[in-house]
Amino acid sequence: MFDYDFLVNLLSAMVRNATPIGLAAMGAVVCERSGVVNIAMEGIMTVGAFTAAIVAGATGNPWIGLLAAIIFGGIFSMLHAFATVSLHLNHVVSGAVLNVLALGITAYLMILIVGHPGTTDSIPVSLSAYRWAIPVLSSIPLVGQMLFNQTPIVYFGFIMIPLFTWFLNRTKVGLHVRAAGEHPLALETIGVSVYKMRYLGVLVSGLVGGMAGAYLSIEGNVSFTEGMTGGRGFIAMAAMISGGWHPVGAFIAALFFGLADALQVRFQVFQVLNVPEELFIVLPYVLTVVAVAGLVRRSRPPKAVGTDFMIERTED
Amino acid sequence: MKKMVHVLLLLAVTAALVFAGGQAEDGEAQGEEPMVAAMATDVGGLGDRSFNDGAFAGLEMGEDLGFEARVVESNQQTDYIPNLTGLAEDGAEIVFAVGFLMEEAVKEAARMNPDTFFGGIDIGGDPEIPNFQGILYKEEQSGFLAGVVAGHMTAEFSDASPKLNPDPVVGVVLGMFIPPVERFEVGFIQGVKYANPDVEILSVTAGDFVDQARGREAGLAMIEQGADIVFHAAGLTGLGVIEAARDSGVLAIGVDIDQNDVAPDTVLTSAVKKIPESVYAVLESVVDGTFEGGTQTYGLAEDATGIAPFHGFDDIVPQAVKDAVDQAREDILSGEIEIAQTRGEIQDLLD
Repeated sequence: MFDYDFLVNLLSAMVRNATPIGLAAMGAVVCERSGVVNIAMEGIMTVGAFTAAIVAGATGNPWIGLLAAIIFGGIFSMLHAFATVSLHLNHVVSGAVLNVLALGITAYLMILIVGHPGTTDSIPVSLSAYRWAIPVLSSIPLVGQMLFNQTPIVYFGFIMIPLFTWFLNRTKVGLHVRAAGEHPLALETIGVSVYKMRYLGVLVSGLVGGMAGAYLSIEGNVSFTEGMTGGRGFIAMAAMISGGWHPVGAFIAALFFGLADALQVRFQVFQVLNVPEELFIVLPYVLTVVAVAGLVRRSRPPKAVGTDFMIERTED
Repeated sequence: MKKMVHVLLLLAVTAALVFAGGQAEDGEAQGEEPMVAAMATDVGGLGDRSFNDGAFAGLEMGEDLGFEARVVESNQQTDYIPNLTGLAEDGAEIVFAVGFLMEEAVKEAARMNPDTFFGGIDIGGDPEIPNFQGILYKEEQSGFLAGVVAGHMTAEFSDASPKLNPDPVVGVVLGMFIPPVERFEVGFIQGVKYANPDVEILSVTAGDFVDQARGREAGLAMIEQGADIVFHAAGLTGLGVIEAARDSGVLAIGVDIDQNDVAPDTVLTSAVKKIPESVYAVLESVVDGTFEGGTQTYGLAEDATGIAPFHGFDDIVPQAVKDAVDQAREDILSGEIEIAQTRGEIQDLLD
């Protein structure tokens, strides 16, 4: 049972499961490092998944669908930025409202556009048609298939890991984003707008979250179903926390969840234990709780995350 | 103060948008009022290409009996009772609840509204509630016939299509482990074993009826192990199973309604239950005044279960398989084949 092919397939499944979660988690990392708590990832993914399926279906081109998902994820996230940064609303309240709004708005638009609720029609071509096995690299034993024979958004996910790490730690804007989350007053004092940095942080989470949603609807599958995000936006929050608010850590945590999920399905296939399936199904979630509980003490959130920042302007 | 206004505004807009999704269309309620036949979907909603769509098709057929179809979507399980009673209070003649998960809700609604007729798809009746008719199907018969096809095709006819491999392995993905889904699975297993006792059957429960990605992963995990025909009884999650089969170049078997149009080059057949026809039969009984409480069970004898046509696979499926299906259908009808309905009864087949 645990032969070579099994391991190769298991690792590929792990990466497939982890991609939407890892993308959303990395977006949330940038957002929270800028000081804005973002529990709206689930809603952003829903909007992204919906937009991707609608646009890819209408144009017949999944790449345009992906682009639209990224753009609309970004636009939707701007509601969160506006509410939390400009209107000084409580971050958790705004995020919770946006999650509900995403469900309502997609259900409503689906009736307007598709003509019925539930599921959109199938798109003609999905992004999985653009699977690309990188020559030579994909034939590396064991990890070749997992890393180098994948579909487009999975590759994008891989690219984002060093990209975000570099952005946060090596660029001036990244430094400013982090400062907005650690010590916003100091940042404002040197003449950089905390508002702008926080808007930027939220925008990044929206763009990446839209892409994560598109993975579910137009790369992994060929249609959008209400509720198809299945709580992955919240698992992404857990990955962000256990990953220590760092892109690399967040993606590793997502891989961990993906591995647990891939394993539980295979346990069922092989009937490893004769216990009710429900026990297998909850396994990844239980492990996530354990991981968050175990790692959260060592992981430190940005100091000013979730705090409001308001500039006093004297009127004269 | 200004902040407060913003908050209220945001909440109001959100609420408006959320509830807009659940509104029933009642534009022509004025004037001469037609009889209303209504349904509340379960969380899968319309567009599931499965039982919600099937029940709605039945309501639409009822238009020639003088009914007007009306639907309310349930976004979560707590919507069930308000949706069902709301439809009854709006004056619907009969209200259908769709899906096993609505059992408690529809019985509660029927008790609270004794003057309205209620019907429940996949829900057993209750002698205490005369205005409620439960409609059950013999899913195990549909599953059995689909299993006969799969069992023959994966083994002795595996060279009939390039999408089949020599491994005698098939798979089945369940949404949640609930009675109608269990009957599909158990019937399928017995059908496969009836066709060929050497075929191995893999089974995964996804745990969800809407999460397509879970269905896809479940399908892929079985396809990796050599399954070349995957059957699903998983609602919308099953669309992911069909996609996994399409993407991997193997075959799938749909469920509830003919799902060939989801992926014509992948869906070999579907294990159907004819929900529209049975909904129509209930509507007729309302018009005739012959509505009865209790449980109606539909099966092969009522032409309500079975498998869908092979469509594009009609030339690929050998006549021997079609004959075997016909034979099995006759034997089920004559009682020669008895099909168990629970996993407990077929434990010896599973080991």
